[in-house]
Amino acid sequence: MSIQATLKGFGVTFKAMLTKPETIGYPEHKTPVHPRFRGRHRLWRYENGLEKCVGCSLCAAACPSDCIRVVAEENHPDERVSAGERFARIYEINMSRCIFCGYCEIACPFDAITLENEYELSEYDRPRDLIYTKSQLLMPHPKSVPNRTPEAANG
Amino acid sequence: MSDALPTKPTMVTISINGKEVQAKPGTILVEAAAQAGIEIPIFCYEPRLGPPIGACRMCLVEVEGMRGLQTACSTPVAPDMVVHTNNEAAATAQDGVLELLLANHPLDCPVCDKGGECPLQDRTFKFGPGETRFVEPKRHFPKPLDLSTEVAIDRERCIACFRCIRFSQDVSEDGQLGFQERGAGTEVATFSGEPYESRFSGNIIDLCPVGALTSIPYRFVSRPWDVQNAPSVCGLCPVGCNTELTMREGETKRTTGRPNPNMTVEEGWLCDKGRWGYPAAWSADRILRPLVRDANGTMVETSLEAAVDAAARLIAASSATQILVGAASTVEDGFLAQELAAVLPNAAASRLGFPDSADLEPLRALPRAELSDIDTAGAVAVVGGDVTNRHPIVELRLRKLVRNRGALAMVGPRTSPLDARATFGARTAPGQLSSGLAVLAAALEGASAPLIIWDEADLANEPAAAAELARIATAAGARQIELAVDVNGRGLRALGLPCQTAPVAAGALVAVNADPLESPGAMAWADAIDGVGAIIAVATHRSAITERADVVLPTLMHHEVEGVLVSTTGRAQRLRPGSRGPREAAAAWELLIALSHRTGTPLPFRTPAQAFAAVAAARPPFAGLSYSVVGDEGAPTTHVAQSSAPQRSTDAVGDGIALVVTTEIFGDAVSWRSDALVSRRTPAHLVLAPQQAATLGLVQDQRARVSSPFGTCILPVVVDAQAPEGAAFVAMGPPASGTSALLAGEQVPVNVMIEVAE
Ligand code: SF4
Ligand code: FES
Repeated sequence: MSIQATLKGFGVTFKAMLTKPETIGYPEHKTPVHPRFRGRHRLWRYENGLEKCVGCSLCAAACPSDCIRVVAEENHPDERVSAGERFARIYEINMSRCIFCGYCEIACPFDAITLENEYELSEYDRPRDLIYTKSQLLMPHPKSVPNRTPEAANG
Repeated sequence: MSDALPTKPTMVTISINGKEVQAKPGTILVEAAAQAGIEIPIFCYEPRLGPPIGACRMCLVEVEGMRGLQTACSTPVAPDMVVHTNNEAAATAQDGVLELLLANHPLDCPVCDKGGECPLQDRTFKFGPGETRFVEPKRHFPKPLDLSTEVAIDRERCIACFRCIRFSQDVSEDGQLGFQERGAGTEVATFSGEPYESRFSGNIIDLCPVGALTSIPYRFVSRPWDVQNAPSVCGLCPVGCNTELTMREGETKRTTGRPNPNMTVEEGWLCDKGRWGYPAAWSADRILRPLVRDANGTMVETSLEAAVDAAARLIAASSATQILVGAASTVEDGFLAQELAAVLPNAAASRLGFPDSADLEPLRALPRAELSDIDTAGAVAVVGGDVTNRHPIVELRLRKLVRNRGALAMVGPRTSPLDARATFGARTAPGQLSSGLAVLAAALEGASAPLIIWDEADLANEPAAAAELARIATAAGARQIELAVDVNGRGLRALGLPCQTAPVAAGALVAVNADPLESPGAMAWADAIDGVGAIIAVATHRSAITERADVVLPTLMHHEVEGVLVSTTGRAQRLRPGSRGPREAAAAWELLIALSHRTGTPLPFRTPAQAFAAVAAARPPFAGLSYSVVGDEGAPTTHVAQSSAPQRSTDAVGDGIALVVTTEIFGDAVSWRSDALVSRRTPAHLVLAPQQAATLGLVQDQRARVSSPFGTCILPVVVDAQAPEGAAFVAMGPPASGTSALLAGEQVPVNVMIEVAE
């Protein structure tokens, strides 16, 4: 092995030491995601506080991995939950089965469910923590992710 | 093609969309097209409701040579007809009809219970406009209204197809529903504005092609893609209507008629008890956990394993064992009880229910008819019984018979809503059926395909009338339909299970879905039950026997099990589970097999199908049958004469006036347990004719003490001007009303003394 080869190899090393690294120091730093990145679901309310979801179960019908469970009930006139005749008494998504295809979002006739950008969904216990309930889904995810601006995305 | 003489053709040839189609003359175009695999969209066309009415205009097609477009649902085929169902004229018309139907339709499919199984959705998808041009505000009604306690109506969704109205007017003939207002304001309502009250009201939900009529107990419970459907049969009366059970997350959520009805049996109609009886599965008195009596005599909950072990130990320790099978048990349960009794020492199996009678043999030996044969009979004689309450779907068939201009003769002691439709009716005094038969011969004579329909209990108690009726029927060449008393009485009898009419003496008693303490003969059993060594109750709900039992094994209801029931006309039909049932419960067949394993001689069966195969091999009435032969539609069993049937004593016992019993359609245990039928339930009561009530010093709603030689109960009085004098009519009510104490285990005719209860 000649000295030239060794120097050549170190040359590469030294050159790399002087360039800006491509890696990101996750979790302190996060890669911004594209605006249409499909992450964790969110259920929405109207401005008056009523849930948009009427418990029609079309998302469950569209779901290819069968991870949505909806049990509907009739709205009580004094205690309206949703804007329609019925509401989802139970709305659960089994996140350990979800493949984030976004079909539920497409199927929803009321834009009640969307896939947001959050992707940090790991938990220690599947049945306890990964079956998201309706109250969880109605809240934004606590760990938000940076969004890639269109300019940044293009640039 | 032969060049035969132009006689009346047996088949006509028409062309539909260029396809040659052969059809019988008179076939409606829609049907002819369907036979050729061509779909013509329809809404109002429903042959079960009678002749087509052409109300919805969905089925417009072009027939060459006819002016304008024709409604295919009311146009019969004619030779050499050329029909286009999808050319431009027809397609534009169909598209246009749908656009107009949808103009005022709220399109609230996501919240509509019909969504996903809605003919309007399906037809629109296939034949309709892609989008609407109607942007103006739509018609609005407050919604939904309760048409009855079980049926909700959403008037915005109605497409005015007349189906529900035709059912009410022409099938159940209650005449309550009609259209009110006109044009866009048209709405379905009862004429009186009162709730719709019919024993068959649920059928309009199945019939409605949109979501205008929906089931209140099923409201928002599930969507079609969240469920599995199982074709089953109803196990609440001996008619054996074919049903479809809807299961979501392991529980039955709904019972409907089958999408392709069994035209031989129920024709797709169900009575409201059959439709809304399933919530009895979660009534408060359902037994959910196995119970074993501990050393202190208290019942403690245990696991199913431990309870079966305890039951097996009790059986093994007993000198004798009696296995008693209830009247609604499946054929498999009855057979396995027999098999278990055969391998246990000193054991016997018997059934609880209406006793065998040799006197009925001449009637049973007559050729058997199916319920569908009623439609086409020239004359039908109904002798005894109470079809309206105890075999409800038979009433619809009899109404259809009259609409088809057949003659209907009603003979018997009870009043019936059918009396008004009968061409000939004889109200006979109790025990005097023979007096009404005399004229029957004339009614049946000369009629085409005559039929007799006879009640098992009434004729067993009047052997002379049974013999006379058999003679009349033979002379007229009539076929027969038996109105059985017990749900699967026919099936259990065909197995050769003897009827248990008197209490068993000692040893262990295994009561499988049977409660002798709440059945006829209850008082005799109550006296004898202390002498029984050990009681093992296999039961679904708490009752007198489960209170006394040493071991209670929870079991499954008819909509939760696999098995075969034999209907009143002798058809073997399959039950399929539409629910998993309580976690700690097991099917009776499974428990019987488990007991055989734990008592030392395992029976060689693991599934009900294997048990049924053994039944077919060992019991002649079931010869040739198997689960696949029975299939979805059922298959007839053969009648085999019972040579050993005992002669019954038929002289009325006791003093006083004759007792005539019935069970009202919503007066049985299931109706009292189902929370969907809360407003329909009727309690046990005593019906008296006005004169009779006056003589006894009783008025409406007063409480009367009714006593027979076998027992006593206290009942509210209903004075009914229609009721015949000289008899006490008792509606049995749920078990807790104690009416079964009035009867003997033999169910012989009884006279009762009636007095004012203090
Ligand atoms: S309620 Fe339903 S069945 Fe009755 S007319 Fe309207 S659409 Fe037809
Ligand atoms: S189906 Fe022919 S007019 Fe309604």
